[in-house]
Amino acid sequence: MKKFTFRRGTHLREHKDTALIPTERLPEPAFVSLRMSQHIGAHATPVVKVGDYVKIGQVVGEVTQGLGCPIHASISGTVKEIISRRNATGTVIQNVVIENDGKRALHESVIRREGTLAESTTEEIIEVVRRAGISGLGGATFPTYAKLQSAVGKVDTVIINCAECEPYLTANHRLLLERGEIVVSGLEVVMHALGVTKGILAVEDNKEDAIALLEEILAKRTPFRPDADIRVCVMKTKYPQGDERQLVYALMKKEIPAGKLPADIGVVIINAETSAAISRAFWRGVPLVSRIVTVTGDCVVNPRNVRAPIGASVQDLINFCGGLKETPKKMVSGGPMMGTALWDPETPVSKGMSGLLVFSEEHDRVNTYHTNCIHCGRCVSHCPMHLMPYYLALYAKSRNYDKAEQMDAMSCVECGTCTYNCPAGVEIVQYIRVAKGNIRAKAAALRAAKEQQQK
Amino acid sequence: MDEQLNRGSAPMPEVLTVTPSPHVRRKGLKTSVIMIDVIIALLPATVWGVIAFGFSAALVVALATVSAVFFEWMMRKLMKRPMTISDCSAAVTGLLLGLNLSPSVPWYVPIVGSAFAIIVVKQLFGGIGRNIMNPALAARVFLMMCWPAAMSDYPAAFTYGADAVAGATPLVALKGSALPDASLLDLFLGKTGGCIGEISTLLLLVGGVYLIVRRVIAWQIPVCMLGTVAVLTLLFPQGDVGALQYMTASLCSGGLMIGAIYMATDYVTSPVTTLGRVIYGVGCGLLVVFIRFFGGYPEGTSFAILIMNSLVWYLDMLTRPKVYGKNRKKGGA
Repeated sequence: MKKFTFRRGTHLREHKDTALIPTERLPEPAFVSLRMSQHIGAHATPVVKVGDYVKIGQVVGEVTQGLGCPIHASISGTVKEIISRRNATGTVIQNVVIENDGKRALHESVIRREGTLAESTTEEIIEVVRRAGISGLGGATFPTYAKLQSAVGKVDTVIINCAECEPYLTANHRLLLERGEIVVSGLEVVMHALGVTKGILAVEDNKEDAIALLEEILAKRTPFRPDADIRVCVMKTKYPQGDERQLVYALMKKEIPAGKLPADIGVVIINAETSAAISRAFWRGVPLVSRIVTVTGDCVVNPRNVRAPIGASVQDLINFCGGLKETPKKMVSGGPMMGTALWDPETPVSKGMSGLLVFSEEHDRVNTYHTNCIHCGRCVSHCPMHLMPYYLALYAKSRNYDKAEQMDAMSCVECGTCTYNCPAGVEIVQYIRVAKGNIRAKAAALRAAKEQQQK
Repeated sequence: MDEQLNRGSAPMPEVLTVTPSPHVRRKGLKTSVIMIDVIIALLPATVWGVIAFGFSAALVVALATVSAVFFEWMMRKLMKRPMTISDCSAAVTGLLLGLNLSPSVPWYVPIVGSAFAIIVVKQLFGGIGRNIMNPALAARVFLMMCWPAAMSDYPAAFTYGADAVAGATPLVALKGSALPDASLLDLFLGKTGGCIGEISTLLLLVGGVYLIVRRVIAWQIPVCMLGTVAVLTLLFPQGDVGALQYMTASLCSGGLMIGAIYMATDYVTSPVTTLGRVIYGVGCGLLVVFIRFFGGYPEGTSFAILIMNSLVWYLDMLTRPKVYGKNRKKGGA
């Protein structure tokens, strides 16, 4: 079979030990803490008061202006408090805390759809996705309705991203094995909404069982329209295959121009779990109230995938997985390459949390070794965006952000391949992040100054 | 409830470590590991040098290496900077310098050489990674200017300081448009006179293959450099000798092999892009041949590499890869 791949990148140790263990549902937590911003865009505002009784699927936070997703109650119970909390990256955001009554009562708005896919219109589907609060579940958390809106009339292919190229994570893998038909059904909903006939399920070749299963599902299934062409594309296992720019290049040998979106070259890319969430929202009326989290790392007693309600705490997940073998040094939300280190075991599960990694002292090799950059060129030869990362780091270090911009710092996707392969232990990608932040700030200041002048 | 479920479980620490991603690193990839690999690759040639030239060779190599590490330690202390001797780069510099000296040099020559390499060329520019020239090569050229006689007096191999008349080294013979006295096989195996580490082409190649297999060095630089020299000497043999023999003798003589495999590939002073490395290798090869044919010295490798060292920044910028999603290269540097 033809396998697709992209240029450069790096092979990682996979550590995907949880791929064989079935996903389990987290027992109802005593409390959930719903952060009012779990997506890119404007924060939501709480629309419930302390003491209100809420049911699963009820909106508790609404975004009134600009880009954003509503937040729904993930358990039924009483709103206990609305507090401001610092999230993992230090921003203070309001949280709605709900005390569980254990009844699992569904809100009245959660109703199954009667009728067929063909009857629904593009606007209707996008509105369903928006109201369901679905954002990119791969970790980027871009609101999915906005992605679909911007793709209407521009795309001819929908790609479901099942690459899951980050080590340790197996949430998508287990989802494909256990709920493959829902992922395909979500793909069909999106294809219908955008009026396209081509759909691709892109899977890395380390998930052979999932590939076989998907082929089987597709063979059995009656297509939602006669001319639909849905196929499974197998990709070589290489990091960062799941980055949308590398995915598009691997599948169609086309580059997404700098600063543009996949829609600009005619494709829309949706994560596997997002696709499943779209299907659930469309057919069953269930908004996004839970997600699969891969709980693993050398400190966890029983690593596995857990379907957890949004807002359950990280500590709940760890307790459910048998607790800790030894005292951890670091906890990471997401994958080890791009995930965020957590400082608080009470951090709630958010829509973007694809994994929870708990590492011991021994496992954490970061910052243990450091020399000057020795100019070995490993970052250059591995960079999937074909940048010269060490030059960008050099310019960022000397605060020469203009030069960094000239060297295309803004094209960096922050995949971390450069830092991973650095023998000197230089935090290359972090330097580039700093440069990007400063370049953005400068551009914003320039824009503001211009507007001032025009007034 | 938490405590019940958590019975027997290790506690959460009071403080969790927070660092930016990525949270994993390639295992076993460190500056010091790379440097130790270079030392391992050089060991066969070093041992052969000691066998061929005896105790004096061992002394020169040891003095150069130990003093290089000492000067690195001294400079870091004086400059009140973090200690860097554990990255082993100073040991590599010292070893390479020692291998590039004649076994008959006086004891102070390797020490002065190491001092120049580490203090002037390396540490005054900021230490590892910041030097613009290869420290060992720069020191060798410095010593050639300070003690031209001692630096170009090579005893024959396996004479061990006996009063044997040192014959012309293979390079001097080539300069005189004649084949060296030694057979090509002796040249290849390293039974001729010359610097301690440069005589055995075979063992240097073995080390080079080790470095390429371990992905320490890029094959483009040595292959392009040696290839250029091979092509040019094949096309333009000097004097009345067979082209093929002249080419083989040129490749196996002098510091070309140790230079191409161990010195030109020094990360700090070579380009990072594949195309840049090809141009750099070809440039080194061209300069070696030009200097050997037309220059005042019989040996051109040191100068060739040092000259190309100075072009590395430019080569990097000239050969910047096309960035994903950009139409054309923007002006660099």
